[in-house]
Amino acid sequence: MEVLKEGLLKVDPGLFLWTVITFIVLFLILWKAAWKPIVDALDARAEKVRSDIENAEMMRIEAEKQLAQHKEMMEKANSEVASIIAEGKAEAERIRSAIIEKANAEAREISEKAKKEIEMAKDKALAEIQTEIVTISTEIAAKIIAKNLNPEDQKKLVEDAISKIGTVQ
Amino acid sequence: MLQIVRTVFEAIIAAHGEEESVSEVVMHHLTDHPIVATESSNVIVKFIHQLNTTVFSEKLFGVFDMRITRWVIMMWLAAFLCMVVFIPVAIKIKRAKMGSSSKWVNLWEAIISFVHDEIVEPNFEHHYAKKAMPWFCTVFFFILFCNLLGLVPGMSTATGNLAVTAGLAVFTLVGMIGVGIVKQGPLWIVTGVVPHGIPIVIFPLLWVIEILGLLIKPFALTVRLFANMTAGHIVIIIFIYLVMMFKSYWVGIGSVAGALLINLLELLVAFIQAYIFTALSAMFIGSSMHAH
Repeated sequence: MEVLKEGLLKVDPGLFLWTVITFIVLFLILWKAAWKPIVDALDARAEKVRSDIENAEMMRIEAEKQLAQHKEMMEKANSEVASIIAEGKAEAERIRSAIIEKANAEAREISEKAKKEIEMAKDKALAEIQTEIVTISTEIAAKIIAKNLNPEDQKKLVEDAISKIGTVQ
Repeated sequence: MLQIVRTVFEAIIAAHGEEESVSEVVMHHLTDHPIVATESSNVIVKFIHQLNTTVFSEKLFGVFDMRITRWVIMMWLAAFLCMVVFIPVAIKIKRAKMGSSSKWVNLWEAIISFVHDEIVEPNFEHHYAKKAMPWFCTVFFFILFCNLLGLVPGMSTATGNLAVTAGLAVFTLVGMIGVGIVKQGPLWIVTGVVPHGIPIVIFPLLWVIEILGLLIKPFALTVRLFANMTAGHIVIIIFIYLVMMFKSYWVGIGSVAGALLINLLELLVAFIQAYIFTALSAMFIGSSMHAH
């Protein structure tokens, strides 16, 4: 026990004081030369990392917002395009049918007119033929009559001829 | 080969004086002695011897024997190593704002971050944690370096001495009282140490217990660090001493293997004890920041 007390468990005041002095000196030196710059640098780095993460988060939210906006715009544009195409189709259909309608009407009109003209030309031709026939018949009749007919026969012939022409007509 | 080993062992035994007892061998390795120069010593040892016999020969205030001892030298070596490691690391960290690519710097930075995250941060609020960091970093790394130096053959563990651990623990005691008085006013020593809401009758009793607790906490720190650092070394020395006791090579194989295992364990203990001492100091000092 005496060995322990004098050796292992002895608390030497000198060594105690040396410990205190050494430690305080080490603390003061390292405080100024090492810990302060290290802690400052580490804190600054931690702060920077934190703000970077915050920024990234904000940018992510912003990007998501813009993406949603763009999606919405795309959808709107798509539906607009669809409606424009549909409108165009309807318009084209309308114009097509209008043009066909008009063409039909014109065709009808032209054929109508042609028929009328043909009719008129026919009438005119018939009238001319009638007058021609009358003239020719009269001349023929005059010649025949002049040769061998008496006035009664002559008169009867003329009347027959006139009535015949009337029926031809 | 075996002949050489035998001569070495015999030389060792002879150097320690013929047939020393195991307790004498252990004591020789674990106790402190003033540096004494012999004819064959180098210049530094002779210089220290000179100092011991002149400047420090008188006891300071009649109490403090300030002669430079082996343990003082080991402390200075540890302190010197701390400066050699951390001042360049600090310069490099300061220069490389976004983290150094050097493995050496990152190693120490990781341990400093460990001290910050596991020891200081849980016990202090953010603003005070930054102020407390330098103190606890110094405590942690000084103890760690002392512990690790003790594992180097031929050196001694400064923290394996009650005077040294007491010297370190006294700072914790001063810190607890100082922080309590500064943060909670001078009356802290009367009212602050006792939990609130207890009957006035048992107040004096509890106050005595709390004050005793206040003194026991650093005392426990002292003994814990000392005992842990000493125990491993005793086991290592006894393992090695077994060879000399039995004078057999076969015992040598076993005892060297055993000593190696204990050495590896000591490596772990060196870290764990530095952590425990610092963490408990931080807890004790941190708890006197606020009334409880």
